Amino acid sequence: MKPLIEFAHVGFAYGDRSVLTDLDATVFGNQCIAVVGPNGAGKTTLLRLAAGTLAPAHGKVLLKHKDLRSLKQREIARSVAFVPQNVEVPFSFTVEQFVEQGRTPFLQMFAGLSLVDYDAMRRAMELTDTWSLRSRVFNELSGGERQRVKIALGLAQQPRLLLLDEPMQHLDIGRQFEMIDLIDLLRREGISIVASMHDLALIEGTFSSVWLLSPDQPMRQGLPEEILRPEILEVAFNCQPHHRPRLQRRIEERMRDRMEHAS
Amino acid sequence: MEVTQAITAHDWAGERRQHWLLAILAILLVLAVLVAAGMGAVHVPLWLVAQSMIGGESLSADQRIILFTIRLPRIFASLLVGGALSVSGLLFQGLFRNPLADPYVIGSSGGAVLGASIGVFLLPPISVAGFGTTALLAFAGALGSITLVYWLARVDGRTPVVALLLAGFAVSTMLSYSSYFLEVLDRDFGTGMRVLTSWLHGTIAQPTWPQLAIVTLMLAIGLAGSVPLARNLNTLALGEEYATHLGLSVQQTRIAVIVIGSILTAAAVALGGLISFVGLIVPHMLRMVLGPDHVRLLPATALAGALFLLVADTVARTAIAPAELPVGVLTALIGGPFFLYLLRKTKQGVMS
Repeated sequence: MKPLIEFAHVGFAYGDRSVLTDLDATVFGNQCIAVVGPNGAGKTTLLRLAAGTLAPAHGKVLLKHKDLRSLKQREIARSVAFVPQNVEVPFSFTVEQFVEQGRTPFLQMFAGLSLVDYDAMRRAMELTDTWSLRSRVFNELSGGERQRVKIALGLAQQPRLLLLDEPMQHLDIGRQFEMIDLIDLLRREGISIVASMHDLALIEGTFSSVWLLSPDQPMRQGLPEEILRPEILEVAFNCQPHHRPRLQRRIEERMRDRMEHAS
Repeated sequence: MEVTQAITAHDWAGERRQHWLLAILAILLVLAVLVAAGMGAVHVPLWLVAQSMIGGESLSADQRIILFTIRLPRIFASLLVGGALSVSGLLFQGLFRNPLADPYVIGSSGGAVLGASIGVFLLPPISVAGFGTTALLAFAGALGSITLVYWLARVDGRTPVVALLLAGFAVSTMLSYSSYFLEVLDRDFGTGMRVLTSWLHGTIAQPTWPQLAIVTLMLAIGLAGSVPLARNLNTLALGEEYATHLGLSVQQTRIAVIVIGSILTAAAVALGGLISFVGLIVPHMLRMVLGPDHVRLLPATALAGALFLLVADTVARTAIAPAELPVGVLTALIGGPFFLYLLRKTKQGVMS
């Protein structure tokens, strides 16, 4: 497997507040990684560093062995697509016009869109099951539809790596499962995925590995079953369930459910 | 075409609608010019106007003078001003990511008036060359004021409506009254005062053909510069960070929009002074027909803006004849309520 994105001794700080320190990690082709950790641990920062919209304060981020800083953002955006958590559009763009923006890194200054661009857009909308929404106004879509359209914009960039910032946020359980199916589908299409995830219950079975960020500790990486263990999460999220009876009860219930499910 | 339609994502219907609209606007524009040229104290029938414009000799000497030295220059001036104001409104709305931006509302017209006033009061009286300095100073004033408002009103890469309106209001009021101040300093300069008053009311005066040539050039530069920017504004609508990620040079786009928008504002102010809300009404109405795609809106906005202001100015000069209403008064009367309606409509969406 070839490395797609490498973080080499990466550090980042917002002003005085250091978020990531000495991070070493690699995303290989066809990997599907969930980035987890408490609020403020740097999940979104990590995604932005991989997308090239933030530059590391220390160390390097490499895309196919090339320092992101030596690449033009247009070049980066043809390999790496970042799907932000919230997109506010002040005008009533249609889904098609919205997805069209994913072709920006391919367009020349005075040239319009070509058939290649339209085909990429159509393919992106078909994969995300948003083709039928193409004439609808983006701002009038439901949360789940909007999420899929945002991913369609990312796919219109024809990326090798898709960075999803909290793709499950604000989705009801049915839409969460749709999103899981979509992530599975994209993985089969050969697109690597790095997604920041809040809901740890949705990770196993979908993601191939987990990166756990927690403040003041080195990042841990491993298989979901290695990382998503109570004793590890307790420390990372700084929450000891045995001090909180209700939480303890919920965790036990969940474990029991899972056992029943498995049997 | 059916085949292409089947395999690609493209809004053919929208494109057809755009072409139809452009054709209709062009026809209406030609008709409006002919009708407007005939209207006034001396009535000239439509066909005679049309004939004389393609070189016919059927007009009397008086009619020719009225047509070519009085009415047509004014008609072309209103076309230029309307087109320039509407396109700069469209650009500023894209830049501010806010459909309420307009050269008047955000104070760039006020800056242009101050710049132009400096030209009138502190420099030699207007001549062809003098007009050149006036236009240049109007441009500088527009550029300075919009940069100031942009800097004041932006919060984390966005422009909340309240911040935009307050900054625009404060800056434009300050600038307009600075122009009055200049007038007080320079009491004995009679023409300057008259020129300034017409500017502040928004009057399309009696331009000469050389003046029109200069403004035509400015409009041409502004329109040519807007073409590559239109697509960038679509991308910028996603927000600065997202647009940056997609490979748009946000900073370059921002500077280009401010410069091009200021050239257009200056062109409009040099001929018509403070004409409010045109840049707001025209793009908004077209958005209702064509949607928000700036690439599609740009040519239609230029044509519709020209048509709109020609109609408005013709009404302004004929409705209460022999007196004339400054066209700025008319656009404010129509545009004010329209602005309030838009403000109310976008309150929830863009306010936060």
